[in-house]
Amino acid sequence: MKHLVRSQGIGAVIGVAVMLAVFTLLDFSGWWTVQTVSNVTQFASILAFVTMGEALVIMTKEIDLSVGSVYGLAGVSFITLEPPLGVSGSLLVALLIAALAGLVQGVAVVKGQLPSMIVTLGGLFTARGIIYVWTGGSVHNFSPDARAHPLTRLLGGELFGIEAATFWLIAIAALLGLLLWATPFGNRLLATGGGRESAESRGVRTERVKIVTFVLCSLLAGFAGILTLCNQPQTHVTLGENMELEAISAAVIGGCLLTGGRGSILGAILGALIVVSFRYELIALGAPSSWYITFVGVVLVAAVIFNQSLARRLGHSV
Amino acid sequence: MTNDHPLIQVKNLDLYFGAFHALRNVSVDFHAGELVGLVGDNGAGKTTLIRVLCGIHAPTSGEVFFDGRKVEKFHPKLAIDQGIETIQQSVGLCDNLSIARNFYLGREPVKRILGIPFLDFALMREKSARVIRQFGLRDNVSTDDEVERLSGGERQSVKIGRAVEFKNRVVIMDEPTNHLSVREREHVNELAVQLKEQGLLVIYITHDIFQVHKLADRIVIMENGAKVADASTDAMTAEELEEVIRQGGRVVEKRETA
Amino acid sequence: MAMSAAKPLIRRNAEIGIFLIGALLVILFASTSDGRWANLYNVGTIVQVTATLGLMSLGVALVIGTGEIDISVGSTFGMGALAYLWLAAHVDPLAAAAAAIIVGAAIGLLNGLLVTRTGTPSLIVTLGTLMIFRGIAIALTEGFSFSIPYAARKGWSYFLLGGDDFLDFNTALYWLIAVVAVLLAMLKATPFGNRLLAVGGSAESAHSRGVRVGRIKLSAFVLCGMLAAFAGTLEAGKLGFADGSMGRLMELQAIASCVLGGCVLAGGRISLLGALMGAFVLSSIQSYLVVMGVQPQWFVLILGVIVVLAAYGDKSLRQWALKR
Repeated sequence: MKHLVRSQGIGAVIGVAVMLAVFTLLDFSGWWTVQTVSNVTQFASILAFVTMGEALVIMTKEIDLSVGSVYGLAGVSFITLEPPLGVSGSLLVALLIAALAGLVQGVAVVKGQLPSMIVTLGGLFTARGIIYVWTGGSVHNFSPDARAHPLTRLLGGELFGIEAATFWLIAIAALLGLLLWATPFGNRLLATGGGRESAESRGVRTERVKIVTFVLCSLLAGFAGILTLCNQPQTHVTLGENMELEAISAAVIGGCLLTGGRGSILGAILGALIVVSFRYELIALGAPSSWYITFVGVVLVAAVIFNQSLARRLGHSV
Repeated sequence: MTNDHPLIQVKNLDLYFGAFHALRNVSVDFHAGELVGLVGDNGAGKTTLIRVLCGIHAPTSGEVFFDGRKVEKFHPKLAIDQGIETIQQSVGLCDNLSIARNFYLGREPVKRILGIPFLDFALMREKSARVIRQFGLRDNVSTDDEVERLSGGERQSVKIGRAVEFKNRVVIMDEPTNHLSVREREHVNELAVQLKEQGLLVIYITHDIFQVHKLADRIVIMENGAKVADASTDAMTAEELEEVIRQGGRVVEKRETA
Repeated sequence: MAMSAAKPLIRRNAEIGIFLIGALLVILFASTSDGRWANLYNVGTIVQVTATLGLMSLGVALVIGTGEIDISVGSTFGMGALAYLWLAAHVDPLAAAAAAIIVGAAIGLLNGLLVTRTGTPSLIVTLGTLMIFRGIAIALTEGFSFSIPYAARKGWSYFLLGGDDFLDFNTALYWLIAVVAVLLAMLKATPFGNRLLAVGGSAESAHSRGVRVGRIKLSAFVLCGMLAAFAGTLEAGKLGFADGSMGRLMELQAIASCVLGGCVLAGGRISLLGALMGAFVLSSIQSYLVVMGVQPQWFVLILGVIVVLAAYGDKSLRQWALKR
């Protein structure tokens, strides 16, 4: 029990349970419909990818504000480059672009010794600006051929009525969980965030760990963008706007401490589920969609305060 | 040498940081006109104890009396207002501010223009320069320069100068001679004695029992957050006290009743 | 030799970098735009944008000075604008502006209390309030925008609050000059200013000297909220209308202005004039793109690159200047 409480996802597990209970009581018929549940799992899966990457970065005691733009940029590249490169080619290039975005930012943070908040704030603008300039605001679509391409189906189709994104999430989350808890890299990642100097004194190359984490984060955000567009192959320039806020909220709700070194993959996924569920419940209750932003804000602040006091009670220094 | 009425009285003080028990049932008296050496290894609780006295930490339980009155609220501002000045190892100077601004931080002299309190720059510069120059501030450093440019010894000079300038009832010196040259060190030690002779209580924290034994009237030794020895320097030699530290845990109290 | 002579100067005046950049850009823009950039009308526009962005940047700079950050200012700006427009239709604009500033102060107070009382990182708190008040602003204006009818756009107090030009420049400029003078005096020449920078330089040291760290930070957040709401008021006064997206992304521009202007995000070292110059440089670039017929989308991209380069340039310059 103690072990469970100490694990970082506990707040999110309680949160999900409470939330589901409340939503069920409030609005049983509106909440437990096939349509709602399927939409919520689809969008929660997408957001969970972005959140997992964000959580990894936060665990190294950095932050990445550019994930929303990178998500959008990868998605837009995927669609826009499909005609010349084909589906698999454009998929590869889109992922490369995302990885490159992470690499450039990671190197700027580490080698330039700049605060990641500023670097990734710059990344947020730059990637968004590239989307604007590149597409010129126009909408791109997949051809029917591309829509029918097996790869598109694999990433954006569904099985037994469950969206492909959910299966991908389960597979990749399992891999990331393994990476974080059962490999030297995961150990070093947590050490980098928990005590950079101590980690360095033990020979951990914290700079390299941070760069790899930024690349990983951007890759996950980019992959999420691609999954979204395989499902609905149409680009718009605002794709992924404000997503960085949702991802950070979800990561924090999922138990990531902004002081680094603590967090969990499961927590990140549950955090994403909570954020997305709130959006759907608010819509279902008939609230104007703009209240959703307000709610994410309230939940973010409340979650941080709750997690901090929980961590303090457990004797962590926060 | 000491009078009956302690200036600071600490009773059964306990302090926890989370699960860490930093101070264990510490009781100790300090009198005006006394130079007390507070000795112990790193992590023994010396610094934590004085941080309570100067209001940075509030104790978990126990009482502190200042001048016979119980201290209810712990805040540095209140401690400073009551005349407790601290010279600490790593804390006390803001790198980004000039020497003069650091010198007066928290009690800046003001000139009121139209009722608005403006800093009295002339006074700040002139007085801080006069005081700190005595303690070895280079001539080519101006009091308008940022503290960031100073050497370790010069930083200490600023803090000691500050303690002297605001003549107080208690001056707590936390490892005041660290990072100082031999000559600067002697100067600081002379100053500690001088402050005592002016009737102040000086608490001198160090892990060097031999150095402080020469200056102090009384030695208090701490270990693992608890007081393990409290003896006047006339009653026990430095070697005897060092033996106490080496053995650890055994509580010794020896007072010369003068 | 001349370079090493400049060291102490740069060490003490971090804003020199941005003033050099500003001067170079002015020359570049004026000489390459064929008179389209450097004319009174366009400069007037730049000055108006600089004034509102600048007021906001000043507030953000104060918060950065305490070692915290406020990214909720874009929403505070919008809330200030909406409060002003809603009230200005009913009461005297000066009273409406005062109410808008109180709204800003209340948002700043909320930020400050959450940061100082719960020990939550200000980045997260203000990220949260950024979203909270953006959502409220959009909900308040759902489907329509707040505006003052043309018939009501009169009276000296309306014109005083950004509604008209004085000596060829929007009145916002004169507000900016007044505010920056007051803030400069406060920061450089009062105990409050000394303590504000001390808190950002080393909160622990400031605390040990008896400075009430929480109270100083709280004041900085309140001031920042007030300035952002006042900037929103002036912008609303200029436009006469506002919708829920008023001030979106301005928080990022304000932070960019501060970084460009030599404010160190770790706290303790800020330059108010530098932040203003940063705001001027950003609005100049934006205006240059517009008059040159470049897609305005480029501005977002360029802004992103500038933020990172400015942070890097600032850090390198400072490191060089601190070397003995």
